[in-house]
This record gives sequence, structure tokens and C-alpha cells, in this order.
Amino acid sequence: MNPVSIIWKFLVTVYHRLGSPREFYQIAQYTTPIFGLLSLVLFVCGAYLGLFQAPADYQQGDSFRIIYVHVPAAWLSLFVYMVMATAAAIGIIWRMKMAFVVAICSAPLGAVFTALALITGSIWGKPIWGTWWTWDARLTSELILLFLYFGVMATYHAFEERKTAEKAMAMLAIIGVVIVPIIHYSVEWWSSLHQGATIFAEGGPRMPADMLTPLILMILSFMFFYGYALFLSAQNKVLLNERKSQWVKAAISAAEK
Amino acid sequence: MNTLLLYFKREWQLLFRNTGALIQPLVFFIIIALLFPFSLPAEITLLQKIGGGIIWVAAVLASLLSLENMFQSDYQDGTLEQAIIHQRSLEMAMLGKVLAHWSATGLFLTVFSPLLCLTFNIPSEQIWVLFFGLLLGTPSLTLIGAVGAAITVTLRRGGVLIAIIILPLYIPVLIFGAGMLSQSAQGLEITSQLYTLAAIFVLAITLAPFAIASALRATIN
Amino acid sequence: MTALAATHKTDSDQCLLQGHDLHCVRGERSLFTGINVTVNRGQCLHIVGANGSGKTSLLRILCGLSSADSGTVLWRKQPLANNVDFNASTAYVGHKDGLKNELTAIENLRFQQQLEGINDEQALDDCLAQLKILYCADLSAQALSFGQRRRLAFARLLLSSKASSKTSSKVLWILDEPFTGIDIHGRALIEDLCVQHLSDGGAIVMTHHQSLDQSGLAKYRSELNLEAHGGNL
Repeated sequence: MNPVSIIWKFLVTVYHRLGSPREFYQIAQYTTPIFGLLSLVLFVCGAYLGLFQAPADYQQGDSFRIIYVHVPAAWLSLFVYMVMATAAAIGIIWRMKMAFVVAICSAPLGAVFTALALITGSIWGKPIWGTWWTWDARLTSELILLFLYFGVMATYHAFEERKTAEKAMAMLAIIGVVIVPIIHYSVEWWSSLHQGATIFAEGGPRMPADMLTPLILMILSFMFFYGYALFLSAQNKVLLNERKSQWVKAAISAAEK
Repeated sequence: MNTLLLYFKREWQLLFRNTGALIQPLVFFIIIALLFPFSLPAEITLLQKIGGGIIWVAAVLASLLSLENMFQSDYQDGTLEQAIIHQRSLEMAMLGKVLAHWSATGLFLTVFSPLLCLTFNIPSEQIWVLFFGLLLGTPSLTLIGAVGAAITVTLRRGGVLIAIIILPLYIPVLIFGAGMLSQSAQGLEITSQLYTLAAIFVLAITLAPFAIASALRATIN
Repeated sequence: MTALAATHKTDSDQCLLQGHDLHCVRGERSLFTGINVTVNRGQCLHIVGANGSGKTSLLRILCGLSSADSGTVLWRKQPLANNVDFNASTAYVGHKDGLKNELTAIENLRFQQQLEGINDEQALDDCLAQLKILYCADLSAQALSFGQRRRLAFARLLLSSKASSKTSSKVLWILDEPFTGIDIHGRALIEDLCVQHLSDGGAIVMTHHQSLDQSGLAKYRSELNLEAHGGNL
């Protein structure tokens, strides 16, 4: 057997196991604490290095340190959207129950990351730009992304029948993927028309390693946190969706003992 | 006869029987635009400057208003079910319907927009820019909006939800349509914006019919 | 050998619609499980069951409007999804009449005829006359009574069945409570149409809350009781 076919077989097995709610639940019971622990360790290291070891910025002083929250949150806000849309597409094409659960559980998490990026961005903007909000392209796209997340969540909750809600929500998430790049570029074009270059000049000074390392640690920590929160809320959702089935009843009575 | 034409014709036949639906978006459009002067300082130059943007926002709201009814009545009387079951392509049928819808709202608004421009004292070169911008932009608005209307067709009160999910998707059209005006006011070329609006339209008319049809098939069951 | 092959061929020709192990969940409730149905030419499948037992849900699964939670539906041995032959061969009359209120009776029919790609004014009148509603031809559908609307829906069914007979006929009729709101004469008319359709080699799937024992359809029908397949929850 060549390695490619072995890897393929492995992936197919993983796919099928994760596709069944019951197996997903069991796998998630192991992965959830691992992800949580990894996230916590990375967070402590990243926060320590970022807040106490990294030198202050020669222009912005200590206020630059908010990037250790802002950049990971902004990065995750897009990453979560891609995960959500991919899961939605898998759910629509292969009619996989768990993919819908992953997509639905991702939406509020993505919205929280987006909101966090917006809030930290505007807190950072106050000392640097002298204002809480400017119609900067990145800030504006981020705000629109937040509304897309709201739309996906609102669609899911508007339908009574769960299967219809899942499909409608998935459609909207997929449509968003087509439109998000268009929105991003049009907003960029628009803001270049309205205001000059901001403090983030292109090709500006590169970040020294002792500032960059904590940033990477924080991004990884945020990603593991997303994985942790996703598994946790997906487990919860699976229990709710399958509450009439035998294995959930057995799991509940086992937990009560 | 061609499926698209057949549905286009039927939709117009229905609109003629129900003239309220035909006229309401237009009246709404004009009223929204005329509200702005009352809420702004009385300066002719200010209105001249922002009048184009106001007309664009009014056009977006008017096309949004007419979306909720686009598939709703067909869903309630069962003709949508029949269209889904029929061997004729649902994509083409719905495209015909949406285009008829656009010609009854977006096209009407575009035709009447020069009149509004006059009330805002917008110079005549700008009127043409606005006219062609609306002509190229409103079909995209209707096509994108129709996808939202299809997703929410089975909901009894889907109006607000349509607005929430569709308005963010309208932003690119708004940016380039209204951006064209401020460009031309500064005496700059506007061809790149026209091309972008045309590209968005081509993308919308290619993808929207499939999105509409699959949304209808998925939510009606 | 040839004889065997011949019977085999007619067998597969006879069998139009098959459902295997159909399972349907609505909300949190399992409506039915393990439904196996076969609809042959000349057969009227009568789905019975109490209110809320899933008659309409099953019907909509069988005509491809909704999909079963598990199990498959086959049309002439082919899956139902995106099956143009199935769509061309099936006509459906549901709870909703599928008529536009703004159009007159005859305009509603004309649109259906145009969809089938035919232009024959006489056929429109014939269909209306067959259901004894020719006098309603120029009334808008909004002005019709409930019973008249049902009759008009059947006129449309008849029209699409007749119209497409040149290319591919609508061999399968799927009817949801066809006799609701219709008077005795109307019911007799519709039963006659159904019997005619069945004896021409068509097939029918219908829901109806009463037994068909006393009707003209008795000798064609086979019964499927959903209560025997009730969900386990």
C-alpha cells in the first residue's frame, strides 16, 4: 500500500466517525480538554511574553500591546467564517448532520471574535487616531462581517423545523463566502477614496522577533480556544438534537449516577 | 415558449391586475428621498453634494420593500410547489420572475430618478451618471435580494430577517454606484466603476438563479 | 428465454414508483418508519391514517417536494432527485390549489398549457366542461368558491395529463385529500376521471380520510395504513 492511499483511508475513517453524532460526542470528550489545556498554556506563555518581555513600541509605547488580543481576534473572525462556510457546504452536499452542527456552533463564536476585534480596535484607535472610530477599510469590513454572522444566526433561529433551519443557514453562509471578498475589496477601494493612508503604512517597519513570538503564541492559543469552545458547544448541541435517542438517555443516566 | 419568457409574461400579467404592488415601491422611493431635505440644514449646496447618495439609499430601501412579496404569494397559493414539481427548469422560471420584478421596481425607479435629481439641484451631467449607475446596479440589487427572499419564503414574518441578511450584501453595489457620482463630481473617469457594476451584475445573474432555486427546494418541504 | 425476458421487461415497465424503508421525522417526533411502497400501473395507492400520522408528509416525499430522513424513493429504478423524467410524468394536487387569484379560471389553465408547450384553446374549454365549471371560465379565481377552486385544480391536472400525452404522459397522479370541499356530483366526476386514468394504465397515490370501499376506485386500490408504521417515539 502506498502512503497516499493509507492517508486517504485514514481521512475517510475520521470523516465517517466524526459524521455520526454519537461518535463525535465520544471523540469530543477526549479532544475538548486537550484543546482547552493547550489554549490555556499557550495563552499564559503568550500573555507573559507579550506583556512583560516584549519591548515597548518606540512610537506607540505600551498601548501597542493590545495587538496581542486584537490581531488574534481579527484573524479568528475570518478563520471561523471559513470553517463555518466549509462545514455548511459539506452539510449541503453530503447531507452530513454533524457538519451543520459545526457550522451553527461556529456562528456565535465567530461573532464574538469579530466583536472583540472591533472593540479592541477602537480602544487602540482612541490614543493612536484620536477617535474611537474611523471609516478605515479593515474596521468597516470587520463590522460588515459581524452583520453577516448576525444574519446567519438570525436565519437559523427564525425557522421552527430544525432541518429547514440548518439548510437555510448553510445557504446563507455559502453565499457570504462568494460576497465577502467582493465586500472587502469594494470597501478598500471606497476608503482609499475617502481618506489618506493610515498609520499602518504598507511595507512599514517589520516586527522584531521578541514582539512577534508572543503574537504567534496568542494566535495559536486563540485557535485552540476556538476548537475548545466549538467542541464544547457542539457536544451540547448534539445532546440537544439527539435527546430522544437511546445513547443520549444512557449517557445522561450514567452522568447522574 | 421559453420558460423565462413565459414566467416574465405571467408576472407582468399579475402586476397589471394588482397595480398597488406596481406603484407602491415607486411612491415609497420618492417619499424616502424627499424626507431627507426636511432633516438636513437648508443649504442647496449640501443637497447637491449628497443628493445622489440619498437617491441610492432610497433605491436600496425601495427594492428591499418589494422583496418580501416576491415569492410569498406564489408560496401561499401553491403555484411555487407546482413550479418545483414541473419538468421546466425552476432556475429559468424564477429568473424570469425576478427580471419581471426588477422591471416593475428597479427600472421604474431608475426612470423616475432624474426627476428627483432636479429637486436636489443635481447638475445635468451628474443626472446621467446616476441614471446609468441605477440602471446597472438595481438588477443586481433585485437578484441578490431575491436569494434572501427565497431563503425566507416559508416564514410568516420574514420582512425584517430579509433586511438583516440582505443589506450587508448590498454594500458593494452601493459603494460603486454612489462612488461613481463623487468621482464624476471631481471630474474623474468613472469607467472602472461602471465595469465593476457590470461585473457584479454578470456574477449575480449567473449565480442567483441557482441559489434561488436551491433555496426554494430546501426550505419548501 | 425470450419469454422470460419479456415478462421481466413488462415487470419493470409496470412498476413506476418505489419507496424503500422510508423514515420521516417532523420536529422532534418520528412520524413513521420502515415504509415500503410500490406503485404499479393501474394501481391506486390509498394512504390512510389518523390526523397527524404523516399522510401529507409521505405524499410530499413521494412526489419529491421533501426528502425522507432515511430511505430512498425510486422512479422507474432511478433516484428521484433531479429526475426530469419523473417531473415530466407526475402531476400533483396538494392542499393548496396552485391557482393565481388575480387570473381568471381560463387564464390559469392557459398558463399550465403553455408550460406544457401546447396552444389549444378548445382543450381549455373541454377541461372546464368536463368538470362542469365552464360557466366560471372568465371569473377570476378569487371569486370562485372553495369547491369550484378544487374543481379548477382538477381541470388543470386533467389538462396537463392530456396535453403532454404526445410526448410523455403524466402517468402518475399524486392527490392530497382530493375530495375535500367537493360536493357529491363533483366527487363522482373526479372518481370517474381517476378510474379512467387508471384503466388507461396510469397510477394514483392519494390520501383520503375515508375508506374507498364504496367508490368506483375500490377494485384498483391498495391500502397503506400509516398507523401500523407509527414512529416509536
